[in-house]
Amino acid sequence: MAQSDLNRRTVLRRAAAAGVLAGPAAGLLSSCALGDDTSGDTSGKYEGTKSDKNPLGVKEDAPLDVVIFNGGFGEDYAKAHEAMYKETYPKAEVKHSAVVEINKELQPRFVDGTPPDFVNNSGAGQIDLGGLVAQGALADLTPLLDAPSLDVPGKKVRETLLPGTVDSGSFDGKTYVLNYAYTVYGIWYSDKLFKAKGWEYAKTWDEHIALCKKIKAAGIAPWTYQGKHPRYMSWPVISTAIKFGGPQVAVAIDNLEPGAWTSDAMKAAAEAWYQIVKDKYILEGSPGLDHKQSQTEWCKGNAAFISCGSWLESEQKAVTPEGFNMAVAPTPSLGSGDKLPFAAIRGTAGEPFIVPAKAKNERGGMELMRHMLSMKGAKDFTGKVSSLSVVSGAADGATLPFGLTSAVKALADSGSNGFNWVYNVYYRKLERELVDAACGEFFSGRTTPAEFLAACQKGADLIAADTSFKKYKRSA
Amino acid sequence: MSEQTMDAAAATVAERPQTARTVQPPAGQPGRGRKAFDGTLNVFSHAFLVVWGLLTALPLLWVVLSSFKDDAEILGDPWGLPSALRFDNFARAWTHGNIGQYFVNTGIVLAGSLTLTMLLGATAAYALARYKFLGSRLVYFVFVGGMMFPVVLAFVPLFKIVGGVGLRDTLPGLMLIYTAYSLPFTVFFLTAFFRTLPDAVAEAAYIDGCGPFRTFFRVMLPMAKPGLISVGIFNFLGHWNQYLLPVVLITSDEKQVLAQGLANLAISEGYRGDYSRLFAGLTLAMLPVLVVYAVFQRQVQSGLTAGQMK
Amino acid sequence: MRHGKYPLLLAFLLPPLALYGYFVVSPYAQSFLIAMTDWQGLSPAYEFVGFDNFKRMLGDEYVWNALLNNLWLLVLLPLLTIALGLFLATMLNVGGRGGRSTVTGVRGSGLYKVIYFAPQMLSVSIVGVLWAEVYNPRSGLLNSALRALGLDGLAKVWLGDPAYAFWAVLAVMVWANVGFYVVLFGAAMQSVPRDIYEAAALDGASRLTTLVRITVPLLWDTIQVAWVYLAILALDGFALIHVMTRGGPNFSTDVVGLRLYTEAFGDYKWGYASAIGVVMFFVTLSVTVLSLRLTRRERIELS
Repeated sequence: MAQSDLNRRTVLRRAAAAGVLAGPAAGLLSSCALGDDTSGDTSGKYEGTKSDKNPLGVKEDAPLDVVIFNGGFGEDYAKAHEAMYKETYPKAEVKHSAVVEINKELQPRFVDGTPPDFVNNSGAGQIDLGGLVAQGALADLTPLLDAPSLDVPGKKVRETLLPGTVDSGSFDGKTYVLNYAYTVYGIWYSDKLFKAKGWEYAKTWDEHIALCKKIKAAGIAPWTYQGKHPRYMSWPVISTAIKFGGPQVAVAIDNLEPGAWTSDAMKAAAEAWYQIVKDKYILEGSPGLDHKQSQTEWCKGNAAFISCGSWLESEQKAVTPEGFNMAVAPTPSLGSGDKLPFAAIRGTAGEPFIVPAKAKNERGGMELMRHMLSMKGAKDFTGKVSSLSVVSGAADGATLPFGLTSAVKALADSGSNGFNWVYNVYYRKLERELVDAACGEFFSGRTTPAEFLAACQKGADLIAADTSFKKYKRSA
Repeated sequence: MSEQTMDAAAATVAERPQTARTVQPPAGQPGRGRKAFDGTLNVFSHAFLVVWGLLTALPLLWVVLSSFKDDAEILGDPWGLPSALRFDNFARAWTHGNIGQYFVNTGIVLAGSLTLTMLLGATAAYALARYKFLGSRLVYFVFVGGMMFPVVLAFVPLFKIVGGVGLRDTLPGLMLIYTAYSLPFTVFFLTAFFRTLPDAVAEAAYIDGCGPFRTFFRVMLPMAKPGLISVGIFNFLGHWNQYLLPVVLITSDEKQVLAQGLANLAISEGYRGDYSRLFAGLTLAMLPVLVVYAVFQRQVQSGLTAGQMK
Repeated sequence: MRHGKYPLLLAFLLPPLALYGYFVVSPYAQSFLIAMTDWQGLSPAYEFVGFDNFKRMLGDEYVWNALLNNLWLLVLLPLLTIALGLFLATMLNVGGRGGRSTVTGVRGSGLYKVIYFAPQMLSVSIVGVLWAEVYNPRSGLLNSALRALGLDGLAKVWLGDPAYAFWAVLAVMVWANVGFYVVLFGAAMQSVPRDIYEAAALDGASRLTTLVRITVPLLWDTIQVAWVYLAILALDGFALIHVMTRGGPNFSTDVVGLRLYTEAFGDYKWGYASAIGVVMFFVTLSVTVLSLRLTRRERIELS
C-alpha cells in the first residue's frame, strides 16, 4: 500500500502557522459576539392596568419566566409561590426552571438582553450583584416595596419586612435586590452532644478555649470548617472583631478603607482565633474536605463546632442523625471591654431575588415577589425549607425544627445589637477568592495572624485600586 | 485531556511509515555473566509493572466496591468490603441523581454528533485528499490548525454565538458543536487515509462510468473502512467523555450529559452528603465504557493509536 | 481535470467548512476583538480600550502565578509521562528474555496493557471526581492505605495543602495518560525490527542501555509528537483542575484556563478574560513551534 506522503513535523508546523492565519481570516465568517444587540426590543414590556387588586399593573395573561437556584432550599417552595401567582392570574403561563449554576443559565441571557422575569440569584454560581447593579441590569424594586401587601391589610410591602431587609439589598441608596431568607450566622453545635457530655457553650474566649481542651480530651475534635471554602471561617473572625470594636469595624471593611482589615479589633480577633489553630483544635484533614464533607463530619459527631449560616439545618437534613438537635450561638466575647454584648449575632437578609431591568414581564416578576412576601407565602416558605423569611411575624406560632428555633431565639436575644457586613455583596471576588485563600492559609496553620490580616488587606487594596470595579459606600 | 493525547497518538501512527514486519528471532546464547543480574532486574521491573497495574486498577475497583457500601462504611472503613450488596444506591443514583436522564441525553447527542462528524469529516477529507483546487492547502491547514488550541480559549464568544442561533442549552446544539470541534482531527486523520488509497481504483470506477459522488460512496468509502472505524472509535470516546463543551453550553439540569452531570453531582450542592449515591453514580458512568473496552480492547487500543494502516 | 469536480467540492466542503468556521474559527477570532474591550458580559454595553487589558495582565500576579503553574506542568507532565510510558512499554514489549535470548514481552503483557490503558476510557470529570475521593484526607483510599501500613506520617491533606495539591493533581494527569503512551510506544516498538534488540542483547547491552541507546532514538519521532501533545495538554489542564480543586488552596493549582474561566464566569470581566485567552493562544503556539524546533533531530532510517 502506498506510503503516506505527509510528514508529521510538516503537518504540525503548518497547522501552527494556519492557526495564526485562521484568526483574522475567520472574522469574515461570522457575526460577532460583540455589538449585535439584535434581540433588544426591550421596549415591548408587558403592561396591564393598575387596580387595587393589581397595584403593579401586571398584564394578566403575560407569561412569567422564573429561574430558581436549586440548592439548599430546593425548588418546591418556589413552585408553591408560583402556584399562588397562578391563582391570582390564571391566564398567565409560568415557566419554572431550577438550575444549579445560575451564572451559566443567566449570563448569556443578560448579554442577549433577554433575561428572565424573576431570578433567585444564589449558590456558587451566583452572578456578582455589584456587577449587575453597576451594569444597570437590575430593576429598581421601589414600586414593589411601596405596593400594598397581599394579605396584611393596611400595610405596604416595605412595612411588613424585618428591619435591615431593604438595606441589605440597596446599593448607594437604591434597592435592587430582595433578600428573602433571614439568615443567622454563628457557631453551631449539637445540643444533644453538649447535654450528654455536660458541656456548656462558652460566652468568653478564654472559656471557649478551656472548653475546646475538654472536648479534645473527650476524643472529639473541637472544630472543623468547610475546608475547600475556608471563607466560612472569616465570618466568626470578623464577628468577633465587630463585637470587640463595634459596628464601625464592618463599615470600614465594606468601604474598602485603608487598613480596615488590620485594625486593632481585627488584630485582637485574629490573635484569639489563632489559638484553635495553634492548639490543634481543628479536625485533622479539614482543609481537604469540601463544605458537604466537613458538615457531614460535624453531623457525625467527629467535631463539636462549625461556623455556618442558618441554612445549615436544611442543607444537612439528609445526614443529620435523629435527635442531633443542632443549635446556633454567637461568637464568644473577647473580654469585658467588648463594645457589643455576648448575645449580639450576625443576622441578615440573605438569598437574593432579583428582577432584571430588561425583563419583559418586569411587573409580573415583582408581583411574584409580592406573593412571596405575603404572610401566606412566607409561612409556606418557612414550613417547607425550615428557614426564616424576612416577613416579620411569619414564623410566629409555627412549629419550627430545633436549629431554626435556636436561631429565632438567638436573634431575639441579640435584639438591636445585631450586626452585618456587605463587602461580600459589593465585591464578590474579595470574599470568594482573596479572603477565602487567606483564610485557608491561616486556619491550616501556615500563616500568622498578622500575615493573615495582611493578605486580606492586600486583597481589599487590590479591589480598591482596580477601576473596573464600581465602588459602593455605606455609612452605618 | 484525553482527547488531545489521543490526537497525538493517532497523528503519530497515522503518519508512521509502514516499516513493521515480523522478524524471526534468531537462536542464540545469552551472555552468561549477565544472567544473574538480569534476573534481579527482571524481578524488580516486573514488580514495577505489577505496582503500576495496582495503582491504575485499585482506584477503579475501590469506586465499584464503595458503590455497594453505605455511608458509614465508606467513611469509616475505606478498605473494607461492603457488608451487603446495596443495589438501592444505584437506584438512587439512577433516579435522584438523574443518571438515567444523563444517559439518555448522552445517547441522543452521541447518535447525532457521531453520524454528523463521520459524514462531514469524511466528505471534507475526501475532497481535500483527492482534489487540488485553489486554496485547498489553506483550507486543509485551517482545519488542522484547530487541533492546536485548548477549547477553553473559545469559551467566551462561543457562548454568545451558540445562543445567537438559538442552540444554547439544546441537545441538537451540542451535536453540532461536538461535530465542529471534532472536525480538525477527523479531517486530518481521514485526509491522510484517503491519500493512501490507490488512485487506480478511483480511475477504474471513473472509467466504469461512476460519477464522482458514486465513486465516493460506492468505492472509496468502503475502502476507507478501517480508517473510519479508527476515527469513529476515537470520536465516540471523545464525545462520550466530553466535559468542557457541555459545561459551557448546557445549563438546565435535565439536558446535561453524563460526564457533566456527574461532576455537578460531586462538586455542587447536588449530592447532599450522600456518598454512596455518588459512588454508585461514578460506577454507573464508568462501567459501561470499561466493559465495552474490556471486550473490544484490542480494537479500541489500535483504534485509538490509529490501528495498523496496512 | 475530472468531471463534476466543482459540484462535489461544493457539496463535500461547504457544510463542514460552514459549521467549522461558525462554531470553531469564529469564536477564536472574536476573542481577539473582545480582548480589546472592557466588556463585562452582563449587558451588551462595551467600550474599546485598546491594549489596556494586556497592560493590566502584566501586573496581575494571579495570572502570573497561574502561568507559572502551567509552565511547571509543561515541563513535568511530558517528562514524567513519556519516561514512565517508555519504561513500561519497554518492559512489556522487549522486557522478557526468559533464559533464551529471544526478546519478547513479559508474561501477561496483554493484561497489563488493558489495565494501564483503562483510565483513557474515562472522562476527565470522572477521573477528577474519582481522585478527589481517593485524596479525601479522612476517608480516602490513599490516606487510609498509608495509615493501614503504619505510615501515618505520610498521610497528608493532599488537596488541601498548597505544598502537595499541585503534585497531587500532576500525579492524576500522569496516571490518566501513561497507559495511552505505553500502548502507543509499544505499537511503535513493534515496528522496530526485532533483530536490532537481539543484537543488542547479544552484545551484552543492559536494558537501560538498550532503552537509552536504541529505543529512544528509534522512537524519537513518536516521542516528539507525544511531547507536543502533552505540552498542549499541560497548557490547558482546566477540566481536571476545575473538577478537583478549582485552583485552590491559595491558588496553588491555579492554571491560566481556570483564571480565564474565573474572570469570565465568576468576576464578569469578559474583555479581560479574552485577553488572557489571547495571550494563552500565543503561548500555546510558541510552545508548539519551539518544541518542534528543539526536538528536531535526524531521523534514524530503518532499512
